[in-house]
Amino acid sequence: MAKKVLVVDDDPDVRLFNTTVLEENGYLPLEAENGEEGLRMIRAEKPDLVILDVLMPRQSGIRLYRELKTNAALKDLKVMILSGIGQKTFLRSQQALTEFGENPVPEPEFYIEKPVDADVLAATIKKAIG
Amino acid sequence: MTKILLIDDEPDILRVLSRSLHADGYDVATALNGGEGLREFGRRPVEIVITDIKMPGLDGIEVLKRIKDQAPETEVIIITGHGDIDSAVEALHFGASDFINKPVRDEALTIALKRARDKIDIRRRLQEYTHDLEQKIQAATTELRRRSNFQAKLIRSSNDGIVATDEQLKIVVFNPGAERIFGYLQDEVIHHRYLPDLLPDEPTGTVQRAMMAPRSLREIPWREALIASKSGERIPVMFSGSILYEGDQKLGAVAFFQDLREIKRLQRELVHSERLAAVGQTVAGLAHGIKNILHGLKGGSYLVDVGLAKKDNEKLRKGWDMIRRAIDRTSHLVMDLLSYSKERQPQFEKCSPNAIAAEVCDLVRERALQEQTELVCDFDAAIAPVFMDPHTLHTVLLNLVSNALDACLFDESTAKRWRVCVRTASEPPQRIRLEVSDNGTGMSAEVQEKMFTSFYSTKGHRGTGLGLLVTHKLVEEHGGRIEVATQPGQGTTVTVWLPFRHEAPNA
Repeated sequence: MAKKVLVVDDDPDVRLFNTTVLEENGYLPLEAENGEEGLRMIRAEKPDLVILDVLMPRQSGIRLYRELKTNAALKDLKVMILSGIGQKTFLRSQQALTEFGENPVPEPEFYIEKPVDADVLAATIKKAIG
Repeated sequence: MTKILLIDDEPDILRVLSRSLHADGYDVATALNGGEGLREFGRRPVEIVITDIKMPGLDGIEVLKRIKDQAPETEVIIITGHGDIDSAVEALHFGASDFINKPVRDEALTIALKRARDKIDIRRRLQEYTHDLEQKIQAATTELRRRSNFQAKLIRSSNDGIVATDEQLKIVVFNPGAERIFGYLQDEVIHHRYLPDLLPDEPTGTVQRAMMAPRSLREIPWREALIASKSGERIPVMFSGSILYEGDQKLGAVAFFQDLREIKRLQRELVHSERLAAVGQTVAGLAHGIKNILHGLKGGSYLVDVGLAKKDNEKLRKGWDMIRRAIDRTSHLVMDLLSYSKERQPQFEKCSPNAIAAEVCDLVRERALQEQTELVCDFDAAIAPVFMDPHTLHTVLLNLVSNALDACLFDESTAKRWRVCVRTASEPPQRIRLEVSDNGTGMSAEVQEKMFTSFYSTKGHRGTGLGLLVTHKLVEEHGGRIEVATQPGQGTTVTVWLPFRHEAPNA
C-alpha cells in the first residue's frame, strides 16, 4: 500500500507542486492549509511523513512542529520542513520558545529551503520513508 | 639653660654674682677682665653677657662694642657705677640691652635678666616666624609657578585649538592645537593677526558683539563653523568662546576650536556602512521574496513537464496557471521595488478621501469575509473633496488594510473575533487622519523596529517585505506622518496624517 504523506502549506501552488511530486513518485498525498487543520489530519490519517511549511496563518509550522515533537503519541512521526525561511531562523525561533520555558524539541531531521527542484524533493522523501 | 658670661675685675663680686646666678638656674662663665671675657666669648658664645663698665684694659663699653660686632643678637647688660648716667647712656647707645647700678641688687639683676631673656625670646620667635614666612612664600611661589606652568602646558597640549586675544581681539595666545587646525605657526599670528582674520563672518560678528556687549554676555555657546585654513582648506570646527574679565574690566577674549574633520569622516563612514547594511538587508529580503516566486516557477514547470509527458491537459493547465501567478508576483515585486526606489513627487488632484477609503474597503471585503474577519468602516462625513495625491491615499490605505487582515489571519489565538477597523477623520485646518486598527497578532519590539526600515516579512509567500517600506515612503513624500501602536497578542493601530490643499497647486 502506498505511503501517506501530508503536505501542510498555506500556498495552494506549493501544495499542488508537492502533491504532484508525491503522486508521480508513488505516494498517497494529503493536504492541509494550516497547522490546525494539519494536526487534525495527522490524528485522523496517521501519515508516514509530514511536509511542513513554517510561515502559515492560524497555526504556524513552528508551533505545529513543537506540538508534534512534544506529544508522546506523535513524536516519532517523520517531519520534513519545506520553507522559504532558512533553517537557522527556524532553529532560532524554536530556541526562543524553549527559553520561554517550553520543552526543548529536537532539530528537524529533514529541512529543505524553497525553492526546491522536484527531483531533490522526491529524493529527500525517499530518504525519509523509502 | 640660658648661658651667661659674667665679666668683672673684682673677684668677690664675680664670685657672689656667679653663685647667685647659678642658683637661679643659669649656666655661668666668668672672666676677670675684658680681654679674658672676649676670649671666653670667642670660645663659647653665650646669650647674655653681663659686664662691669670700669675695668682695666678693655673696659665694658669696648667689650660691648666688640661683642655686638661679633654677635649682634647677644644681650649685653652693663654694670655701671652709682650715678654714672653718662656711661649708661653711652652703653645704651652702643646697643646694650640694659644697665644696672652698683652695688648690684638681686631684684635689679633679675629684672634686667628677665628683660634680656624676653628680648631673646621675642627675637627667636620673630626669627622662627620670619623663617616660616619665608618658607611659606617659597612654597606659594613654587605652587604659583607650578600652576602657571600647568596652565601653560594645558594650553599647549590641549587637542583643541585655543586662541586668546587682547581687548582689540589681537591674538596673544595661539596653541599647537590651533596651529594644527589653522595651519599658521604661532609666530605668524601672535601680535600680528586679529581673531576675526581667522574666522568666517558669522562667528566673528558674535565675538565682536560679545566684546561690545555688557558684562552679562560672557560666553559664546558651542556651535559649528567652517573655517578656512592657511592653505585655503575649508575645515569644519566646533567653536565656542568667552570674554575674559578682570573685575569689571574686559581683558580680551578666548576662543576654543575642536577639529571636526575626523568626526565628520567617521560620520560619513558610518552612513556608508549603514547604507551597506541596508543594501545587505534589502538583498536578503528580496532574496526571500524571489525564493518563494522561484518555488512557484519550479512547481509550475514541473507540472507542465508532467502534463506534457502524460498528455494530461489538466496538469498542463494547472502548471501553466502556477507559472502565470509566479509571473504576476514577479511583476508586483518589481513594481513595488520600483516605486520604493524611485523618487516620486505627489500629484495633487481633487479627490474625495472617503470615496478612496470606501474603494479600498470594497477591494478587501471579499477576502475579509473568507477569513472571518469583520471589516468596519468609519468615515468622517466632515471630510470634503480636497487636493491630495489619490494614488498615495489608495496605496497607503490598501497596504495598511491588507496588513491588518494578515495580522488577523496569522493570529493563532482561538478565542478572538477578528476585526479590522478603517477610520478617516478631518483634522483642521489641513490634514486628514487615517487610522487602520486590528485585533490580530500585534508586533514584538523586534518586528516593530524593522517594520519601516528594512525589507522584512513575517508572512512567508504572502509578503515581499516591501509594503510598509513603500507606505512609509509615500507618506513622507506627501509630507505626512505615520505612527504605530502595537501590543503583541492584542493588535495594532497604524495612524497616518496626510496634509491636503484647498486648491490646485500651481493652478
